[in-house]
Amino acid sequence: MQAASLNLLSKHLVGMVTPTSRPLLLLHIFIFPFQAEMILLEMQDPNTGVRSQPQRLVITTIPHAITGEDIVTWLADRLQIDVQEARSFGSMLVALGYIYPLQDHKRLVIKPDTSLYRFQTPYFWPTQQWPVEDTDYAIYLAKRNIRKKGLLELYEQEQYNRLHKWMNHKWDFIVMQAKEQYRAAKERKKPDRVVFDCQERAYWVVHRPPPGTVSAMDYGLDRRTDPNADETQTSDYYERIMIFTQQAIMRPRVKSSVSIGALVKHCATYIGHDPFLSACLPSNPWLTDDTTYWNLNMSNVETPTKMRVERWTFSFKELLSDPRGRDDFRLFLKKEFSGENLAFWEGCEDLKWGTAATMKEKAEQIYKTFLARGAPRWINIDGKTMEVTMKGLKHPHRYVLDAAQTHIYMLMKKDSYGRYLKSPVFKDTVKKAIRPEEHKFNDAQLEQNARNRRPSLSPIILRQQEQELRAKMAANAPVDITQLCRFTTPVPHFSVYSGIIDPPSSNTSPSLPFLPHTPICPSPISVALDSTSASERRLEASEGEGEQNTEARVPDRGNVSKSRVALSLRRLLKRGCSPSAMFASLSPKCHTAAATSSRIQPITPDEPSQAPPRRTGNFFQIKVDIPPECRIYPIESEDEEEENRLASEEVVGTEEIICPWESLTQQNGTG
Amino acid sequence: MSDDIMSRWRRSVEEVTARRQLAECERAQNALSRVTSCFQQLVMSLGSSADSSFLREEMVETRALAHRICTGLSRRLLSLLSDSNPAPSGVADKQEPERLWVLFLSAVENFLSDLRKANDLIGQFPLTQRSNRHSLVNTGCMDGMVGMAARVALVQVPWLTLEEVPSPDLANHIAVLEAMLSEMQLRVPVAFWSVEATQPAWAEALGEPDDPDTNLENLMQAEVTFNSTNVSACCGLSCVG
Repeated sequence: MQAASLNLLSKHLVGMVTPTSRPLLLLHIFIFPFQAEMILLEMQDPNTGVRSQPQRLVITTIPHAITGEDIVTWLADRLQIDVQEARSFGSMLVALGYIYPLQDHKRLVIKPDTSLYRFQTPYFWPTQQWPVEDTDYAIYLAKRNIRKKGLLELYEQEQYNRLHKWMNHKWDFIVMQAKEQYRAAKERKKPDRVVFDCQERAYWVVHRPPPGTVSAMDYGLDRRTDPNADETQTSDYYERIMIFTQQAIMRPRVKSSVSIGALVKHCATYIGHDPFLSACLPSNPWLTDDTTYWNLNMSNVETPTKMRVERWTFSFKELLSDPRGRDDFRLFLKKEFSGENLAFWEGCEDLKWGTAATMKEKAEQIYKTFLARGAPRWINIDGKTMEVTMKGLKHPHRYVLDAAQTHIYMLMKKDSYGRYLKSPVFKDTVKKAIRPEEHKFNDAQLEQNARNRRPSLSPIILRQQEQELRAKMAANAPVDITQLCRFTTPVPHFSVYSGIIDPPSSNTSPSLPFLPHTPICPSPISVALDSTSASERRLEASEGEGEQNTEARVPDRGNVSKSRVALSLRRLLKRGCSPSAMFASLSPKCHTAAATSSRIQPITPDEPSQAPPRRTGNFFQIKVDIPPECRIYPIESEDEEEENRLASEEVVGTEEIICPWESLTQQNGTG
Repeated sequence: MSDDIMSRWRRSVEEVTARRQLAECERAQNALSRVTSCFQQLVMSLGSSADSSFLREEMVETRALAHRICTGLSRRLLSLLSDSNPAPSGVADKQEPERLWVLFLSAVENFLSDLRKANDLIGQFPLTQRSNRHSLVNTGCMDGMVGMAARVALVQVPWLTLEEVPSPDLANHIAVLEAMLSEMQLRVPVAFWSVEATQPAWAEALGEPDDPDTNLENLMQAEVTFNSTNVSACCGLSCVG
């Protein structure tokens, strides 16, 4: 090994371990071993290497032990780095298994004192080409079992039982091999036996770490191809290069000043929030084993941290991607009565990311709730986008609502986001946000934390909780009964009116502080009742017969019936239900309102409870027969129109809300 | 009537031969285990301070012995299992050969991984010149592996090797074993999961004869620090048995 190449190597290694690096043990799993081996071999040199001394045991003396402080000093000297960094480097060597500690063998760190270490034999070095086999581990455990007569540690016992179950077919081989290896090891001289046992134990501490040990071996799944291997130059390889370069040519370009400016801006904005570059308040759980930081930043927390709230001001995307931020934004939108935008956006996200089986249903659901004429939560998108979306909905796929979603997203971003940042909701959140105190743990406390590490809540439970929350939210969701405003004189901004169906007492979700029910405007339904139209008067007459049907069809909204709002709504429903009624444009809206209000709002994915309400929805089968250019008119004129048109048609039986992609003859099973 | 007696006699002869063959294979399997464990001990010392040319020669000899056992055993197992002769005692007779088959394949896989490691290590730590000894890792082991050599020499192959197959060098040995493995797996379809262990879990702890100083754990822990001034430097967690 020439000195020149070693110097180069040391420079490279120094560059790798930056001055501010913490003991991050997961770096460079692919490259580091090779370079570490070179350093290790240097450390062996009797003249320039680390000072080695004999380790005195009760019965014998074993040579080649080295102290932690000697290692650290040597590394600092050789690589020209400071002591802290040398310590990190040394710990990395230990964590990877090139050096093992003789005392306290489960803690894979370099202690810069007289604690002893020894070099691991190359057979046990961590190298990519030699996978760590479970068979070997099983043999090791069996050997240990033989030696310790069954007194294994708890985690070893668990592993043993697991391997015994999974490797039952070769268990005889494992036991036989364990016995033979045990006997073979006895053939060696005593001091070497001790060394060998230490080596083997150290190897398995690295590769099957006991609980509480930091493992450097967690590199995730094996890659399909080895990035360090040379790739054969087949035609496929050249083809890939060609495609790559062609795409690179086609990419849009930006001036470097602009892109660099953007990078600088990004870094300047986020530097305080990067846990690698700035301190994490209260403390970084990966370093101190204290999970307060994670608990404070959970998605359903009541009061977020100041840092988190600050992040929401960076961009709209940040706000939406943080669940707590999204909740806050939703709250604000509710107050502004434009909650349907966010609900639509979330529905589109759900469609994009959901399972393929439920896609068609979801698309239908979203259409009925947000896009259809007379939908309860109708969103305001421009005509062209609407046209494109409708066309796409004939053959719904995952990205069919992309155009509409983008439109709504930009709308929210340009309009609502700005107002949100100035709103009292946000100001209140900012005021309440907490800034936790920084933890200052001493070494003993750090060890205590390491010992008390517990697994966090299982992701299955978290997902269940999330779904429950979503269901609850959907059940309590507001219905923007915009269309019912047609009973009054048309108002320019329809989304102003939104009635909240359930009374405030039914709000049970604790973590989302809903506003107490403050009727900003008189319920549009009651307003509607007051302005009786021709159709209404006629429908009142047939109220009686339709009564029972409605009762049966409206699913148990017990609390609904109690409120005055709901009462009026039911009357509306009854009106629409009777077959002889003029199915004024009034009816589809309120029916869809009832239908979707009885349904879970589109946010939830695959709730099984979706099935029955959907059937209920189909009971309210009304033929939508409004000419496309129809806008929302005062009810009187349209009613007469509808009445005349429909009276001439056969009204027996029930028709369906026709989705653009469903054929007229399609029966949905409810007849 | 004589036909009946003849067939019965033939069947019993077949049974006896089958049982003898199985016993032979079992002995061979045990021998293979012994040889491969010794080989592993040798490989573990490659590249360390215990590495020497003696060790490497021992490795070659051990490998050759293993090769002989492997080839013979694979041939016998193949004949036992791929024979279309319906076993006279029915299905139960297939279990034992299948079990041996699975054990043999596991042993060969294990041996193969050791061979590959040996190949890499020998490449990494060639001992062709004196100066190469500088690069050996000081692991604290100094043994010359004489005991291991003796142990290997005691292993007996349960059949006579009439055909002296020249033992291959390391790279070829790996290739030969890989070919053998794939060939065996292709020739005979044995369901691995149908084989069960013959002894329960944790049973091996009761088997071994007691060794007077088996508590190596205590040995490894209890030590007298060489530097008397820094006795207290050990953190309180160490030196606990």
